[in-house]
Amino acid sequence: MAAALFMRNRRWRYTLLGVWRDWLRDDGQTLIYVVKVLLACLLAMWISLRFELEQPRTALLTVMIVMQARTSMVLAKSYYRFWGTIVGILASLVLVGLFAQERILFLGYLAVWIGLCTAGSMVFRHHQSYAFVLAGYTICIVGLPATLNPGQTFDIAMTRFSEIMVGLASASLVSAIVFPQGVGDLLRNAVRKRYRDFSGLLRSLNREKLAGPATQAATLRMVGDVFELESFHASSGMESDYSRAYRQRLNLLNAEFMAATTSFHALEQLLRRLYMGGHPHVVDALLVLFSPIQSAVVLHQREIRNEQEARHAALTIKALRDRWPLHVNEVQSSLPESLTATEQLDFATGAELVQRVLEELHAYTNTYAGLNEPGARLPSTSIQTPRLGMHFDPLAALLAGIRGALVLTVMAGIWILFDWRSGIEAITIGMITSTLFASTPSPSKTVRHFIIGALIGTALLYICNFQLLPQAQGFLMLALAVTPAIALAAWLTTYPSVAVVGTGIFLIFLSHIGFNQVFSANPVTFLNDAMADLMAIMIAGLFYNLIDLTNSHWSRTRVARAMRELVQDACLQALPLQRAHLETQARELLLRMGAARRAADAKDKEVVDWLLSTLEIGHAVLVLRAQLATVDDTALRGRIEQSLSHIARLFGKPSSRLRHAAIQSITRSIDQLQASEAQAQLPQSSYRELLTMLHFIRGALLDSDSVLSLSAPLSQPPLTTQELSHA
Amino acid sequence: MPRELALLDALVPALILAFAGGLALSWLLDQVFTISGLYRHIWYRALFRLGLFICLVCSLGLMIY
Repeated sequence: MAAALFMRNRRWRYTLLGVWRDWLRDDGQTLIYVVKVLLACLLAMWISLRFELEQPRTALLTVMIVMQARTSMVLAKSYYRFWGTIVGILASLVLVGLFAQERILFLGYLAVWIGLCTAGSMVFRHHQSYAFVLAGYTICIVGLPATLNPGQTFDIAMTRFSEIMVGLASASLVSAIVFPQGVGDLLRNAVRKRYRDFSGLLRSLNREKLAGPATQAATLRMVGDVFELESFHASSGMESDYSRAYRQRLNLLNAEFMAATTSFHALEQLLRRLYMGGHPHVVDALLVLFSPIQSAVVLHQREIRNEQEARHAALTIKALRDRWPLHVNEVQSSLPESLTATEQLDFATGAELVQRVLEELHAYTNTYAGLNEPGARLPSTSIQTPRLGMHFDPLAALLAGIRGALVLTVMAGIWILFDWRSGIEAITIGMITSTLFASTPSPSKTVRHFIIGALIGTALLYICNFQLLPQAQGFLMLALAVTPAIALAAWLTTYPSVAVVGTGIFLIFLSHIGFNQVFSANPVTFLNDAMADLMAIMIAGLFYNLIDLTNSHWSRTRVARAMRELVQDACLQALPLQRAHLETQARELLLRMGAARRAADAKDKEVVDWLLSTLEIGHAVLVLRAQLATVDDTALRGRIEQSLSHIARLFGKPSSRLRHAAIQSITRSIDQLQASEAQAQLPQSSYRELLTMLHFIRGALLDSDSVLSLSAPLSQPPLTTQELSHA
Repeated sequence: MPRELALLDALVPALILAFAGGLALSWLLDQVFTISGLYRHIWYRALFRLGLFICLVCSLGLMIY
């Protein structure tokens, strides 16, 4: 009896412990975050009141803006906020100094400045982008009040600066001292999850998948992952725990991951085409060829979960590499004798691609396995590890800049024409709205959320200003009065789907909170300001809809064209070409369009297809050109270069005629390459690579399901490869 | 030592100098501690850094006044 009771007790304790752990992992973290935000806010408020700064709310606002769950992200954001503020303040001093008497000129130059900031926030990523937003926002909170009384410009600027610094210091201090959380585990989990996803993708390749429709979801998610990882590790620079070598290895890992996914995608496309129109034995043989790779990324019947297991996998893969020629010969000898030359070429191409996937998987797995070893040296081939560069559409950035400037012009026009009391508040909120959300995937939806937040914030503000604050005595009561709204906003920002609602709440709430040094709220001003804010947000939202850079046909066409230009560059630009450049640039183009987060949209499918096609063909072209440099035979080289220029022309302006011309030109190149004297001259490996890559590109161009068919349909049913080989 | 300094004709409290000096010093010490491996023996680094910084600023401030 006693024993049974004891057992039951133990079980109870385990259950409770499990519940406690779950709570600690999910809700506990959220609660800690909310407490941290509150602490930082109250600290900032106390310091500002103690130092008798003019507007404690600026410090509060700063805290809310830079606060994030991870310590190093707060530090990174604070750092950029610091520079954004400095630049903004200097710009406003210059503007006031030059144009204080002439409001039209002043507002005109202000519009130009805002335009520059908005464009800048489109060009850069993550926190850098954010610094531009703040440079624009700071000029509104410093420059505009200063024009009204130019004599005090310097004082106003210094006070705002002090308030912002108090906010930054409180936020950094609290997030570093109270339950600090590094990005280390976040990074580690992201890296591990990505390897799991990729090995899952490798293992999913089989006959059934080839028969089914092509899926893009996995590819899209991986495009997003590349940049998410970069954002984590950009802020890990603020943590001293991570060595430079570790960050280099992460960069390398990113590049290798992109290379491996591209090669795998090319292989999958080839298999799909062969499944549709090739010899079934070839497909089967290639799948058999691929199967040891699929089992190499599995340990004890499941996917690789961490770095130790990856080391085992790396050894398996290395062993596989060592006996690869044997394996290929084995599979090749199982092919029936009756295959035509083209079908044998199909197999050779497939084998080449499978081998490339193997090589890249080997590099990727090795880097992954050595990620956490402090002493592990970088492989000698990658002395300069590739970084993700900046790739953006200048026209889109320009349009975003114009949009920002237009919003300001319209608001300023209303302000001047109607002698609007709350003009400054309206312009400030309008500027925040039109710069802050410029780089989000779909700004108009974000603005809708923001309006909801603003409405809630206004309601809370009313209660706080006219019910709670008048009765508040002393700091403690003041803190109690502002706590609910801040806690609610902080809580909402932890959920990605409603984060912007939270942002709306705290921006509106803290912009008009009714105390400075003393209680200073009155209902008339309050109503004026509240209406001004809503109007400003709506005008900014309207302009987001008018100049829509992310969701329109126009932007999709432009992105597709930019991707095709990448292929052109790959075909024509002078050597040496960088593969990493192609890979990152193509992916970033897609990411900037925001399509990665709206995978389901059918219209975006076309752009994603362009991405995949760009990577597939662009990469094949790069391999081809690298081999071409070793060819001595000028006639052969001229022929292949002509084929490349045909491909470039096709991608420059897709049309059926150019597509046929390119296909024929490649076929001629293949014929000339196969002619006996060329085959004898070239080393065996480069001959094989040239041949298989040409064949691969031809196969991709012949594919009637390819995205090229939308703008350049193959007018007659595509020639079968047999006919072509005799053409 | 005067309480306020004229920096480009803007009056700046002398404590700002102590603050900046404290920042520089603590950054320097931080580097030294990281290299010498002292941080491995410290339980709560962030708190230690903050304490160090406060000590430095206070002692600099006491030197000024």
